[in-house]
Amino acid sequence: MTTSASEPLLALSDVNTFYGQAQVHFDLSITVARGHIVCLLGGNASGKSTTMKIILGLVKPRSGEVTFDGASLIGLTTPQIVRRGIASVPEARRLFADMSVRENILMGAFVRNDREAIAQDLDRMLTLFPKLGQRLSQRAGSLSGGEQQMVAMARALMSRPRMIVMDEPTMGLSPLYVDRVLELIRTINQEGVSVFMVEQNASLALEIAHEAYVLQTGRIVLSGPARALKDDPRIRDAYLGGSEAA
Amino acid sequence: MSSWLDYTINGLIVGNVYALVAVGLALIFGVSRLINFAQGSIYLVGAYIGWVAVVQLHTPLPLTIIVVAVAAAIVGLIIERFGLRPLQNSVRIAPLLATIGISFVLDQLVMLTFSPNPRALPSQLPDVRFQVGGGTIGPLDLLIAGVGLTSALLLFVFLRYSKLGWAVRAASQDRDAAMQMGVDVNRVNQAVFGIAAALGGVSGMLVGMYYNQIDTAMSLQATLKGVVAEVVGGAGNVPGAVIGSLLLGLVESYGVAVFGTSYRNLFAFLLLVVVLVLRPNGLFASARQAPPEPLTGTFIAPSRPVRIPRWALAVASAGFAVLPLFPVSFYVLQTLINAWLLGMLALSLTLVAGTIGQVSLGHAALLAIGAYTSALLSLALNVPVGLAVIGGGLMSAALGTLLISPSFRLRGHYVSIATLAIGEIVSLVILNWESVTRGPIGISGIPPLSLFGYDLISPTSIYWFSFAVMVVLALLQGRLLDSHLGRSFRAIRDDDVAARAYGLSLNRYKSLAFIFGGFAAGISGGIAAHLYSYINHETFNTQQSILALTVVILGGLGNVVGAMLGAVALVGLPEVFRIAAEYRILIYGIVLLLLVRFRPQGLLGTM
Repeated sequence: MTTSASEPLLALSDVNTFYGQAQVHFDLSITVARGHIVCLLGGNASGKSTTMKIILGLVKPRSGEVTFDGASLIGLTTPQIVRRGIASVPEARRLFADMSVRENILMGAFVRNDREAIAQDLDRMLTLFPKLGQRLSQRAGSLSGGEQQMVAMARALMSRPRMIVMDEPTMGLSPLYVDRVLELIRTINQEGVSVFMVEQNASLALEIAHEAYVLQTGRIVLSGPARALKDDPRIRDAYLGGSEAA
Repeated sequence: MSSWLDYTINGLIVGNVYALVAVGLALIFGVSRLINFAQGSIYLVGAYIGWVAVVQLHTPLPLTIIVVAVAAAIVGLIIERFGLRPLQNSVRIAPLLATIGISFVLDQLVMLTFSPNPRALPSQLPDVRFQVGGGTIGPLDLLIAGVGLTSALLLFVFLRYSKLGWAVRAASQDRDAAMQMGVDVNRVNQAVFGIAAALGGVSGMLVGMYYNQIDTAMSLQATLKGVVAEVVGGAGNVPGAVIGSLLLGLVESYGVAVFGTSYRNLFAFLLLVVVLVLRPNGLFASARQAPPEPLTGTFIAPSRPVRIPRWALAVASAGFAVLPLFPVSFYVLQTLINAWLLGMLALSLTLVAGTIGQVSLGHAALLAIGAYTSALLSLALNVPVGLAVIGGGLMSAALGTLLISPSFRLRGHYVSIATLAIGEIVSLVILNWESVTRGPIGISGIPPLSLFGYDLISPTSIYWFSFAVMVVLALLQGRLLDSHLGRSFRAIRDDDVAARAYGLSLNRYKSLAFIFGGFAAGISGGIAAHLYSYINHETFNTQQSILALTVVILGGLGNVVGAMLGAVALVGLPEVFRIAAEYRILIYGIVLLLLVRFRPQGLLGTM
């Protein structure tokens, strides 16, 4: 396959999505460049989470194209898409609550069959998320929200993805964990994994993102380098309450 | 007189058999949130495959078990692939109804292939019994215990150590998240159905050997018992299903020891109702629960009902009213009388299941209450038949509502299970309460219908009478649905949380719906009693409940005209096409399956 570095890793073009009669996306176009962190901002019911579901094949768009590494994802099932190299950290983490932390992390490697490398990767996760070491045999459902987020991220990394999509990774976490999670996203990204994240907390997301898109009732109303958007008065008015205090 | 130890051993052995069925149900519920009402049919198929293997092919026992397990698993895979997978994206009620349809089809196919007469299934084991303490135990008991334990062990190893087993566990805890890990949920479903069917089939074969007899009535009983055990243990909880099954086996066995054989099932269903009322998540539910049942609104296919102009309805009614004036045969009138009686039951069920969203699987119990009340009033107390029928309606309204009220706080599948159990309880109480109901003998010599002293004996007069009663009930129900009350019913169905937030008392409105529905069904049962002149505890059975549900779905849930149209279609068409009686249930099952697949909103649309 001929893939040039300039070609985006993920591209959504002119996606229109409907839930029954209601249109969720209007000609949505988003690209994620290789090695970048791209953030999709937007308020409630703007269509953010649906965008994630489109990428993962959980929701089918009525029209438009979604490509990953140059190949279309349209018509593929979620497991097939996962095998192409996209891992996810779902909204509210969605751990397998009655399985142990170890089993949860290993579930992330479900698409792999190289036992020894999987074991090595599990060790690697424990260095990346040292806290989880003592929790391995605990029920995942018994962990705190922050710890669960760590498990969810470790689980996503276990498939050795080329891209991770994250739905509101900082939602419901204590400030301490929010910083930790953002730091980890940066680390993961520096190891070569592209990140597409959906966030409500614009100021935090723009801290670590390379590019950002702002989604409003299904339409992209603003996009560009994160640094530029951070100072954009429209963003500040709409999402930061006019001040950086938040 | 057997010893207590014997009853304990018997309870545990029977519990083991239930466990084989219940574990499969729990696996399926875990992954698909679906109660598989076809599980008992697979058990039945297993028993008959066992019979073919043992009696005709003379296979040795180990081979018999393998043959049954493999054949049953194949049936399970077929059900999953062709019956349920196409329904993945439909409303929640669709797969539930599909499994009911599949069970009708399978049961009838077995009956048509092997005839309804019971057959003996020899156990192939020596008939000796060993003394253990104060009781005895035979080789077959040990075989059943061994199969139960081995299956449990294999299942444990599978779920804990195999990749597919992990996928099953992950999918049952969070289906979407499992898909995002790359789990192919279709393969998981396949695996689960295959395993459930293999266990269920072997279970059926073992029971056949245990009682040395198999017949087609086994199917529904097995489904019911499996469902009871599974819900008692906590729906979707595999170890819970095993413990629930053993508990059920013991409760039944001790119940039989104290009260007698005819009480066996009564204890099973009472246990279920008690558990549903006190601990709806089962005895062994963990603190974290499976996602709650959806709001009832998402349970039923939404649609825009077909509007039928009033004049068309008036013309149709007038047409049916004057029909007896034309030279039609008694046979046609008789068929239509049956349709009107079923129509009344369907009016009742469409209100309860469609308008307020409580999908009842035990509606025939309301017929039975109405029929027994009316029959006993007229026979024992000499109440005029016209009044007695009304008394039947009132009793059905009152008693039916009272009996169903413990399940008002349940949702979705659980309502269906509870109503099924309550329906069975009514029939079992009728069977056992001999001083009033005359028990298994039934009530004979019920006086014919009469109105103001005139006996209605000619088919024409009965036709007019039953048609008029149905039309009056339908008009009343139509008024009800257009009123504020009807809107409240639909609000509760569509979103009970929001309805409650607006101050609607769920219990009160559900009661009102059941009172009205109970009255219509009771009237239908009352009239039927005087038409048949003989009734017993099996006259109004689960098959009729399911037939009524098929009628209601055919017409469109909640749709008054649809209920009557569905009744005419399902009673009339088989007559028109002169389909032999033994094929009818098969047809109903196929109709249900096709409807669910291609027109879940019914002919006239849900309202």
